[in-house]
Amino acid sequence: MEAPPVTMMPITGGTINMMEYLLQGSILDQSLESLLHRLRGLCDNMEPETFLDHEMVFLLKGQQASPFVLRARRAMDKSGMPWHLRYLGQPEIGDKNRHALVRNCVDIATSDNLTDFLVEMGFRVDHEFMAKGHVFRKGIMKIMVYKIFRILMPGNTESTEPLSLSYLVELNVVAPAGQDIVSDDMRNFAEQLKPLVHLEKIDPKRLM
Amino acid sequence: MAGVPAVRISIESACEKQVQEVGLDGSETYLQPLSMSQNLARLAQRIDFSQGSGSEEDEPGSAGRAWAEPGEAEDEEGLVKFQPSLWPWDSVRNNLRSALTEMCVLYDVLSIVKDKKFMTLDPVVQDPLPQKQNPQFLQLISKKKSLAGAAQILLKGAERLSKSVAENQENKRQRDFNSELLRLRQHWKLRKVGDKILGDLSYRSAGSLFLHHGTFEVIKNTDIDLDKKIPEDYCPLDVQIPSDLEGSAYIKVSIQKQAPDIGDLGTVNLFKRPMPKSKPGSPHWQTKLETAQNVLLCKEIFAQLSREAVQIKSQIPHIVVKNQIISQPFPGLQLSISLCHSSNDKKSQKSASEKQNPEDHLYVLEHNLHQLIRECHKQTLSSTVMPHPASAPFGHKRMRLAGPQAFDKNDISSLQANEGLLEKIIKQAKHIFLRRRTARTIDSLASRIEDPQIQAHWSNINDVYESSVKVLITSQGYEQICKSIQLQLNIGVEQIRVVHRDGRVITLSHQEQELQDFLLSQMSQHQVHAVQQLAKVMGWHVLSFSNHVGLGPVESIGNASAITVASPNGDYAISVRNGPESGSKVMVQFPRSQCKDLPKGDVLQDNKWNHLRGPFKEVQWNKMEGRNFVYKMELLMAALTPC
Repeated sequence: MEAPPVTMMPITGGTINMMEYLLQGSILDQSLESLLHRLRGLCDNMEPETFLDHEMVFLLKGQQASPFVLRARRAMDKSGMPWHLRYLGQPEIGDKNRHALVRNCVDIATSDNLTDFLVEMGFRVDHEFMAKGHVFRKGIMKIMVYKIFRILMPGNTESTEPLSLSYLVELNVVAPAGQDIVSDDMRNFAEQLKPLVHLEKIDPKRLM
Repeated sequence: MAGVPAVRISIESACEKQVQEVGLDGSETYLQPLSMSQNLARLAQRIDFSQGSGSEEDEPGSAGRAWAEPGEAEDEEGLVKFQPSLWPWDSVRNNLRSALTEMCVLYDVLSIVKDKKFMTLDPVVQDPLPQKQNPQFLQLISKKKSLAGAAQILLKGAERLSKSVAENQENKRQRDFNSELLRLRQHWKLRKVGDKILGDLSYRSAGSLFLHHGTFEVIKNTDIDLDKKIPEDYCPLDVQIPSDLEGSAYIKVSIQKQAPDIGDLGTVNLFKRPMPKSKPGSPHWQTKLETAQNVLLCKEIFAQLSREAVQIKSQIPHIVVKNQIISQPFPGLQLSISLCHSSNDKKSQKSASEKQNPEDHLYVLEHNLHQLIRECHKQTLSSTVMPHPASAPFGHKRMRLAGPQAFDKNDISSLQANEGLLEKIIKQAKHIFLRRRTARTIDSLASRIEDPQIQAHWSNINDVYESSVKVLITSQGYEQICKSIQLQLNIGVEQIRVVHRDGRVITLSHQEQELQDFLLSQMSQHQVHAVQQLAKVMGWHVLSFSNHVGLGPVESIGNASAITVASPNGDYAISVRNGPESGSKVMVQFPRSQCKDLPKGDVLQDNKWNHLRGPFKEVQWNKMEGRNFVYKMELLMAALTPC
């Protein structure tokens, strides 16, 4: 088999070299309302919005040990929005001075025949899920509070069941590489959400 | 001597009795000792009553004498003088002496009183203290006492009450602060930083991107003097606004004819509006904050305008000097937008009093600027919609669609095309100026030219970039029959579109002269049209009509128009030529038969040739009776119509 057409290295240079700064936490269903109330007060003065997304994770296995992962996501509750294709690099925990998890990220808006295209390229669907929740914004920070639903039948987004009795809380900022100062803002914001929810740097590798 | 036997010597006292005489026989006759009374009398004799007792002036002298002449010391008088206190019966003597003195005084007094020359004796007035009033007096005193006791109790109570009232007030003030703070929170964004309460004045939450932090501080104003009277507008909560947002500000927009001297730029329009008389005492926090917020908004507007003025490339570059932006919408015209910020200090108030020229301030444009910046804010808010799917980055939805939908360069640039605040306001200013000038042109024409009359009907509701006016040209008294000229003027930003009644559209530029010439030519045409209408009413026949005559002198404005009408029986004909510049010329054609002076030619012998038209004669129009052209024409037609 030939070498995969995609390199493992993310594209660098230009405006594409963006980093995602991420803090994560979790909150039980019964405490959701108070967290939303708090977020409405803290975040920018916008109508609170809900979302219902369907995310599919594609893998491309090459000669390298770890597969190449792409995430394709689409909005189920809004029509006319483009699909979102996302590449996320390896997360770096960093030292104590950096208050957020940092990973390379590439965001692309695509048309709706993305899945076909990816399959043609040799990707295969690893897993898929639905995410339903609320999204807030404060400046360049995005706060997502959502619940992950398992899709019972592959490809059928109608039949789902919640994965857990809690909501995932994510605070993320996409910024050009090297702007670690945004993590300070994130830490400050996360401080204000305590003790409702503790947002922390969570290393996904340790959970596996 | 020891051997001598002791001799007894009897010592007897001297004779007790003084020997008066010793008789020849040696018998002594003794003087009988003095009896007690005799002794007393003898002693009394020795008292010198005339000698002042203890009078000091005598003492030294007598003492000196005593020492000087000791020989005389044996003198009994001297001895007595020397020891006055040792006088026998000294006290008796003294008392007697004082009694004597008293007696002497009494004697003197009595003698004086007796004389009644210098002194009289009156009975001393008895102290009026009748025993009868005593019980009442006692009552009064007791009442007074009990009243005083009661008053003291009352006073104590009052003091305690006032103390508690003051305490209550203090508490109330504390509560008031909290309730005021609550009210403040309902209107303003507050947050607590350390032990301070900070508020947000900025329009950031409304979508403003202005960099000013716009923070104010909430101050507790409870420690005022309790003894002093609390002012009526006292408020336990006060706010401290940043010093650069103090005072009041507004954006002044004006259109001026000529560019002023470049040296005056930026200072002319500063501090023009006098401060409104502020009431003594500090204003309420709400008004304070609103004013400060207004200052902030004005600053933002001006900052935005200046940024655009520098960025936008225009044919005539915009000038930004100090607090003024100058742009030239039309040649010879300048639009100046200035930020007038007057703080409270006296200096600026003083300069505010001079150079008052408020009428060139375009309030409409000031208002529109505020509206525009708010629209701008709204746009920034609405453009930042939440991304869907939620993982997507923030951004405009259409920009995100650009990739998947393969937008070309034009599509993308159309997304970004965004007219700036300055461009918009310049357009509006142009329109306002054009509208004003049109109105002035029409008005001046209407006042200058009485015949025909010109009427303008302005529409009340306009767009910011377009307004319309309906212009009617009529003749007085003939409004019903002369309705030929009705113009609709649509005034835009750069040009005026004229829509005729018959649907013709003429586009005029912003030049004033064009509109004036056009209206003049329309007025001249109106007269001819009026004759045409009048002929119909009078039963005359229109022989020819032309809006644009190709003959005759050339008019500098437009063309002359002409009409020829014939009387009902065809005997007379009136020909009118009216030019915008040359004015009207009216000719009447007489039948040949009425012309006596016509040379009788040989050719036209027959009587029937008399029915041919005769020559034209010009009417001396200014000598005609009648108040306007159409009326004169009516009179002329009436005169030429046979009864």
